[in-house]
Amino acid sequence: MIQRQATNENVPESAGNGAAVSRFLDGGWRKTKNAAVLLWASKTAMVGLLLVVFWVGTALLAPYVTRYSPTEQDWKAPNQGPSIHHILGTDELGRDLWSRLAYGARIVLVILPVTEKFWIPGGTAIWGVFASLLLGAALGLVSGYRGGWIDEIIMRALDAMMSIPIILLYLIIVAAIGASAVNVVLAIAIVGTPGVARLVRGLTLDIRTRDYVRAAETRGEGILYILFVEILPNAKGPIIIDAMLRVGYAIFAMGTLGFLGLGLPPPSPDWGSMVAKGREFILSGSPWAALWPAVAIASLVVGLNLLADGLREEAMRYQ
Amino acid sequence: MSKEMHPAIQDLKSDLEKGKVSRRQFIRMATLLGVSAAGAAQMAGLALPAKLFAAKIRRGGTLRVAAPVHKVTHPAQFSWISPSNQIRQIAEYLTYTDANNITHPYLLKNWQASDDLKTWTLNLRRGIRFNNGDEFTTDDVVFTMNQWFDKKVGSSIKGLMGAYLNPQGIEKVSKYQIKLHLKNPEIAIPEHLFHYPAVILNHRTFQGDFIKAPHGTGPYTLVKFLEGERCVVKRRNDYWNKGADGKPMPYLDSVEFVDMGTEMPPMISAMQSGDVDLIDFGDISGVQAYEALKKDARVNVYPVTTNQTRILRMRVDMKPWSDNRVRTALKICQHREKILGLAYFGQGLLGQDVHVSPKHPEYCPIDTPKYDPEKAKALLKKAGYPNGLDVNLAVGSGWPEIVRYAEILKQDAAPAGFRIKIQTMPNSQYWEKWTEVDLGITTWAHRPIGTMVLNLAYVADDKGKPVAWNETRWVDKEFSALLKQANGTLDVEKRRKIFCKLEKIQQERGSIGNAFWINLWTITRKRVHDIEANPSQYLWLDRAWVAA
Repeated sequence: MIQRQATNENVPESAGNGAAVSRFLDGGWRKTKNAAVLLWASKTAMVGLLLVVFWVGTALLAPYVTRYSPTEQDWKAPNQGPSIHHILGTDELGRDLWSRLAYGARIVLVILPVTEKFWIPGGTAIWGVFASLLLGAALGLVSGYRGGWIDEIIMRALDAMMSIPIILLYLIIVAAIGASAVNVVLAIAIVGTPGVARLVRGLTLDIRTRDYVRAAETRGEGILYILFVEILPNAKGPIIIDAMLRVGYAIFAMGTLGFLGLGLPPPSPDWGSMVAKGREFILSGSPWAALWPAVAIASLVVGLNLLADGLREEAMRYQ
Repeated sequence: MSKEMHPAIQDLKSDLEKGKVSRRQFIRMATLLGVSAAGAAQMAGLALPAKLFAAKIRRGGTLRVAAPVHKVTHPAQFSWISPSNQIRQIAEYLTYTDANNITHPYLLKNWQASDDLKTWTLNLRRGIRFNNGDEFTTDDVVFTMNQWFDKKVGSSIKGLMGAYLNPQGIEKVSKYQIKLHLKNPEIAIPEHLFHYPAVILNHRTFQGDFIKAPHGTGPYTLVKFLEGERCVVKRRNDYWNKGADGKPMPYLDSVEFVDMGTEMPPMISAMQSGDVDLIDFGDISGVQAYEALKKDARVNVYPVTTNQTRILRMRVDMKPWSDNRVRTALKICQHREKILGLAYFGQGLLGQDVHVSPKHPEYCPIDTPKYDPEKAKALLKKAGYPNGLDVNLAVGSGWPEIVRYAEILKQDAAPAGFRIKIQTMPNSQYWEKWTEVDLGITTWAHRPIGTMVLNLAYVADDKGKPVAWNETRWVDKEFSALLKQANGTLDVEKRRKIFCKLEKIQQERGSIGNAFWINLWTITRKRVHDIEANPSQYLWLDRAWVAA
């Protein structure tokens, strides 16, 4: 973290536009290389990365790696085990499970279905975490930098929110605003905000005492500049690691909501609701429909955790 | 019997002889009019329906039932089947409707209806005693009936019987005879007396809480009742009804109802391991247990066809469902074989968009509409939706078969131009607005007679306002007139003729689609014998016995 502060110190002030871009690109390349080296050095992170890349790849290429549409029903072949025609088997309506898993990953990681016909890039979990980062970072920065009664009010309000059990909070939010992808994003954002805010506030409390912040204050920079240009970039390391873990929590949240019937409406290939529906058939000898989405959720969340853990360990070692 | 016999019985008998009604229908109608089941069976030329298996019955033993043990106070307030299945072991009903929809006298010895079906005479069985020693008399029946109509009690029986009977119409004639004077003719009285909250209470001891004074005429007495945990009953030795061996029933020493929550898997494993002998499916769907246990050699599965269904209902006072072409289009988008096969594993009968089941006595055979998305598309075009339309379909997520029904319909209606958005919600939330949503799928319980359900859901009140349970607001002049006529028609064949018209109207311009009628099951361990698979999921345990 300290090393990176040095590079950031010369970000402000003017320079030729072209030079700035090339420096930015340079810096970007160097950072990517550093990250790759970090990753390579950690076996844990590599395993995590492989799992995450597998699911991201599957999600991106879903239409190309599957033979069936995720909603195509074959009423002659419900609850089948794995076979040549359906590599993971079929669910209770004869839909291909692999195809549902792949398109389910898409909803988690790659697209956010706003309505049935309209979607935007960025998965539901990713948007949820992104939104909680935005909200949480803003609150945390203000709270940590300004301190005083503003800090008290914000933090006590967030503490109050954190005192509600998470699953209950999810249920309250989704039950109140209805079940849809956008509302799941909102729920993830609202539930994630207090944690992010606490983290960012802690980092801000430390960073605001640094000389370069004092320097910016002395220069007479505005509060927004100080918060978002001086403090936030220097806090991003822990925030990124935290965000990775948070994507994992968000996937769990989606799974939980789906399982409880409050996720995406059917027939969306929502992993959680797939487990819930498939569960009915475990005892009648067709465990597949519940097993595969459970494995998918577990592997993706474990992958993200390993990746985050590995990165953190390696980063700490360099420090 | 012949002196007191209802005049319609002779007509029925001649219909039977001419082959106009089946034997089963004859027995059903004749018993409703006060002939004993044995008598009716004899008139129909059948052997007495007595079961002769006294030789192998074993007395003793305990039966364990997995069942939710809800709080019980006033039996007339029951709105769930399961509590009634516990209390019905201790207290009883005046009548009893069996699995074939035939109603028998129970605490009644018999009944007679006047020719105009407006005066019903109920004769009580004599010599019956409550388990605290009190004699069962008309005082108990009058007391219990008054409880049903008491506003403070708030019993659903008031809704069921209130339309034709009020407390002033209940006349105590003697210690063993009651007369009911009705406002309107009604044929289904004996069936209504078997409605599950209609438990007969002891007028001397009942003070609003049955558990505090559990005095009934039934075969068992209450030993322990712990809400959410267990209910234990044990046999009484002086029960009025005699078993096949000539001694008083029941055969079992005791019955234990164990609350195992609402999740099916633990109950299924308990069945497999033999920890319980029976699961009470009164308030929970048995389809998961059926799928898991149907091939299990350790259990017996008794299926029963029912008049229970899932109704795809469209509000005719709201767009686009006010247009019959749109309704018809959606109805013919139901691929019925597929829906029954996938949503309910093929365990039922196909529906015909008519709320009359093939198992209703007055059912008139009618064609099953074919899946035809092309025709549906053309209909939508004519109705002004050449590019199709978006609709919301509300379903309760706690009914998996309904969610599957919705998912299949969504897929199969897409080629016609219906873009269905499925709105899932917890069942409790669906029940809050089941009459309000414009398009939804509602569960409808088993009712033994066709007119019962049509009167509940497809007519208007005297002021022309759709009745409370008319969830689609569909009121059709011709239909209502025909239904009124059917209500007062005893002769099954004549009723069927009216029903042919009623069904045709409902299928052609009605407000509902229904793809299937469901089967239910009674599932027991092999050691349990003589359990009746009841279409209402009532548990009768006086005749049940267990092998060693």
